[in-house]
Amino acid sequence: MSEILQALAQGFLVGSTYGMLALGMGLVYSVSGIVNFAHGDFVLLGMYLCFALASAFALDPYVSIFITLPTMMAVGGAVYYFLIRPIAGHHLLMVIQLTLGVSLLVQNGLLMSFGGQFHRAPSMLESKLWLLGPVVVRVPQVISAAASFSIAIGLFILLRSTDIGRSIRAVHQNARAAALMGIDVGKVRMLTFAAGIGLLAIAAALLVPGTPMHPSMGLRYTAITLIVVVLGGMTNFVGIMLAGLVIGISESLGTIYLSDTLGMILPYAIFVIIMLFRPQGLLKSA
Amino acid sequence: MLEVTSLFAGYGGRPVLEEVTVRIEKGRLVGLLGANNAGKSTFIHTLSGVVPAMSGRIVFEGEDITTLSPQARVERGIIQVPEGRLVFPDMTIRENLLLGGQHKLARPKRSQRIDEVLELLPRLKERLEQKAGTLSGGEQQMLAIGRGLVAGPKLLMLDEPSLGLAPKFVQYIFEIIEKLHREGLTVLLVEQNLNLTLRHASYCYVLERGRVEVEGASSIVRDDPRTKKAYLGL
Ligand SMILES: Nc1ncnc2c1ncn2[C@@H]1O[C@H](COP(=O)(O)OP(=O)(O)OP(=O)(O)O)[C@@H](O)[C@H]1O
Ligand SMILES: [Mg+2]
Repeated sequence: MSEILQALAQGFLVGSTYGMLALGMGLVYSVSGIVNFAHGDFVLLGMYLCFALASAFALDPYVSIFITLPTMMAVGGAVYYFLIRPIAGHHLLMVIQLTLGVSLLVQNGLLMSFGGQFHRAPSMLESKLWLLGPVVVRVPQVISAAASFSIAIGLFILLRSTDIGRSIRAVHQNARAAALMGIDVGKVRMLTFAAGIGLLAIAAALLVPGTPMHPSMGLRYTAITLIVVVLGGMTNFVGIMLAGLVIGISESLGTIYLSDTLGMILPYAIFVIIMLFRPQGLLKSA
Repeated sequence: MLEVTSLFAGYGGRPVLEEVTVRIEKGRLVGLLGANNAGKSTFIHTLSGVVPAMSGRIVFEGEDITTLSPQARVERGIIQVPEGRLVFPDMTIRENLLLGGQHKLARPKRSQRIDEVLELLPRLKERLEQKAGTLSGGEQQMLAIGRGLVAGPKLLMLDEPSLGLAPKFVQYIFEIIEKLHREGLTVLLVEQNLNLTLRHASYCYVLERGRVEVEGASSIVRDDPRTKKAYLGL
């Protein structure tokens, strides 16, 4: 019994972080129609930035967010402006190919700069544990989950009830009409792309305590994120958070009750099964 | 107020509009007529800046706006109510109206203008929190006009507001346009509906294959045989 509670708690915590990773992708997809296959590599870039700051200045990953967030937003803005914008509107396959190219670029850049061994960036809070009855949770994971939900709620409010949020939704629903409202569509697209990558800087800092990093891990994050976004209905942010939880919990139940490798496959199996019955995603897309 | 001189514009390097010259005096209701594919929407889009001019000049209130961005033109009060309404379907009526007034010059007066629009179009008031996509065609047209009004137009350009509407809605929409015009708004009305437009507009242009074929006071355009010809595409 306590084993299943432990697995559920663990899955919930990991899943909410998956949800946040996926919010960035969903946001970008909703305004630009772009699926960024370099998504996971940007997570790794964020993690290595934390590592670099930790080794150079002994900065705690939670503190380095103040540096990595603006840096990653600038990187995201530049990638959008110089690489993606020129081919936006071309064939979908071209955009996919481009982001795959960016993925390889980031991955090999990290490999060249940091080498192929695993690295960690320690945090003061890394080894802190909380006991909730029979369940033991790691404090960094609790922080990560709390931050993920706060960001999800913040994003929801931003999109619902601010001018910038309405502009983002307007560009998503009809870019031509948005331009006729005096919305600078190109600017909105660039800013949301930058914000989507900036979100990954936060996610990276939250993942770093306790997660050893390796340049090749990007693809796995991309794959998990894609699954969560598709399962969540692409642009439905509540659905995306929910899907993150489903995937996180199935992964942790799988690793406990099945073998390690089978457990890692379980989320994909569950994904396929859900998509067979609900191809539009868990919740109907808003 | 608006002077368009020898305008060429089109898509992918091929001109749709050729040498179009149009003048709109302040406070007038000017009609732009033409058959399918004559280039009416292209003309309006060029004025809005979403289709670039290839050559020619667009001057608005003494300022050359030929190369200004769409945003800059909205801020100057050149507001388009697009063909097919293009309301934001997954947003409520209130949100659509707010978006109409989201540009920086409109924001300070936005809530006051929304109140005025709801006064003018009471049907919208009853449905403020309803999604725009669930409205009837006529209601969506009212919303599109309302959304344009919240932007604070000096020149309101309506692209086929009667398209696909039931006759009673067409009449209602035209009454609204007439009312706005009487209150002093300058209007460019693009229509395929020949008689209705000739009745409301004082001056009309007839486009045929991207060129101004006929222009003049509505009574003159009505009797010009070239008008019928342009319409039937003979
Ligand atoms: N986005 C576009 N790309 C390429 N060609 C276009 C585009 N939009 C319009 N055209 C072409 O430009 C010409 C004029 O079209 P336009 O929409 O301006 O005509 P219109 O007079 O508004 O017609 P309608 O009464 O059907 O609305 C047509 O031949 C059309 O095929
Ligand atoms: Mg048209």
